[in-house]
Amino acid sequence: MDRGSEFQDLVPKYLNSLYNYALVLTRRAEDAEDLLQESLVRAYDGLHTFDRSLSFKPWIFTIMRNVQIDRQRRRRRQPSERPLRDEEEAEPVVSMENPLCSIPLAPEDILVRRETVERVREAIRHLPPVLREIVELRDIEGLSYRDIATIVSRPVGTVMSRLYRGRNLLRTYLVEPAQRPGENRIGVRNDGL
Amino acid sequence: MDCDTAKSKLFPYVDGELATELRDQVEAHLARCGACRRLVDFEVAFRETYVDRLRPDPAPERVREQVATLLPDLVHGQRAGRTQRWLKRLALGVGAALLVAIGLSAGVALQSHLGTRTTLAELTDAAVEQHQKLVRDLLPPDIKDVSPKAAEEWFRKRLAFNVSLPDLKTEGLRLLGGRISHLREVEVAALEYQVDGNNVSLFIIPEEAYRQLRLKDKPRFKVVSHRGYDVVIWRSQGAGYTLVSEIGDRACLVCHAPHEKLEPLPRPSAHL
Repeated sequence: MDRGSEFQDLVPKYLNSLYNYALVLTRRAEDAEDLLQESLVRAYDGLHTFDRSLSFKPWIFTIMRNVQIDRQRRRRRQPSERPLRDEEEAEPVVSMENPLCSIPLAPEDILVRRETVERVREAIRHLPPVLREIVELRDIEGLSYRDIATIVSRPVGTVMSRLYRGRNLLRTYLVEPAQRPGENRIGVRNDGL
Repeated sequence: MDCDTAKSKLFPYVDGELATELRDQVEAHLARCGACRRLVDFEVAFRETYVDRLRPDPAPERVREQVATLLPDLVHGQRAGRTQRWLKRLALGVGAALLVAIGLSAGVALQSHLGTRTTLAELTDAAVEQHQKLVRDLLPPDIKDVSPKAAEEWFRKRLAFNVSLPDLKTEGLRLLGGRISHLREVEVAALEYQVDGNNVSLFIIPEEAYRQLRLKDKPRFKVVSHRGYDVVIWRSQGAGYTLVSEIGDRACLVCHAPHEKLEPLPRPSAHL
C-alpha cells in the first residue's frame, strides 16, 4: 500500500480520537478543528518518519501536541488558554514515594452509587487540563504509560504521578457531590483504602 | 511486600504496567492479603463498569466532512498554502457575487418557487442519512439506557433551545439513546427509539432553523417520503421535530400513546 492510501485509511479510523485529543489540548471546538487540520498536514508531510512497527495513534498524537505548542508560541497568550508548558511548570509536585499520596481512593462508593458512564465522562472533562490529558490518554485512548510519556515528553514516573492524581481527583468528584468539578483539592480517605 | 507498598502499585498493576518481577511480588501479597485483594477486585469492577466503556468524544459531522475533503487534497498534492486558499476563496467569492448580481431577477423568481422545497429536501436528506448512521451504530450515542426525562435534562444542559420529550410508557416503545448531532451544520438533539422492534429516529432542531424552512402552518405535520423512509416534520413547544422511520404512522408512537385519537397523517407531500 502506498503512503497516501495508508494515510487515507488510518486517519478516518482514528478521527474521533484525534478530534477528542485536539479538544483536550485546545478546549475550544473551533480551535480543535484548526489544530486537527494543521496536525494532519504536518503528519502527512512527515509520514516517511513513521516507524511502521509502532502504533500510528501515539505517533500522530505526538505531532498534534507539538503543533499545539507551536501554535501557542505563534500567538499571544489568551487568558483562557495557558500554554501547555506553563501549566506543567505550575504543576504541584507529588512524590510517588509518599505512601499516603500513593494510595488510590477505592471506587467502592462510586460502584454503590451506580453512576452513569456519561457522568464519569463529564467528570473527566472537568479535571485540571494537565491531569485530564493523561487520564484521557490512558483511560479513554488506552495508551501505555510509555506511549503517553513519549507524547507529553515527560518521564514515565511523571505520567504515573499525574495519572494517580487525576484518577483520585475524578473519584473525589464522583463521591463528594458537594465538591464541584473545577476545584482542585484532592481528597484522601482516612481509612487508608 | 507490605500493604502500603502493594496499594501504591495498585494502578500500574491493574493497568498491566508492572515489570514481571514486581507483578509477581504484588500477586504474592494479594494471595495472602484479603483486604488488598478486595481493593483490586473493586478496581477491576470499576474498570469494567466505567472505564472500559468510555469512548472519545465523536468528531462532529462537519469535521468529518472537512477531513474527507482535506485527505484527497493532501494525498494528491493539491494542497495550497493558506494564503493561496484565501486568495482562491476570494476570487471565487467575487465570481459568485457577479453571478448573483447578473442572475438576481431570475434567481428571486426561482427561489420563491423552489427555495422551500430545496431546503426541506436538504433537511430530509440529512435526517435520513443520520438515521441510517444511528441504526448502523456509525454514530455512537452520547447517552443510552436513560429515561426520556433524564435525556431531556442532558440535552437541556448542552443545547441552547428547548428539548422536550414525551415520557410515554407504552408497550413496544423503547428509547435506546441519544446524542448531539448535526443536520446541515445545525446542532440538533438526535434520539433513537425502537417501536415494535423497528428503529425510529427523532431529531429536535432549534425553532430558528425550523422557521428557515419556511413551511406553511397547515398541514401541521408535513410528510415526505425519501429513499424508502417516511419523514414527518412539525413544530411544537419552541422547537422543530423530524421523525424518520420505515413504518409510517406507527412511528408516531414515539410521541403519542396508542389509545390517543390522532388525525391520520397526510399523504407524503413529496417523494424526494
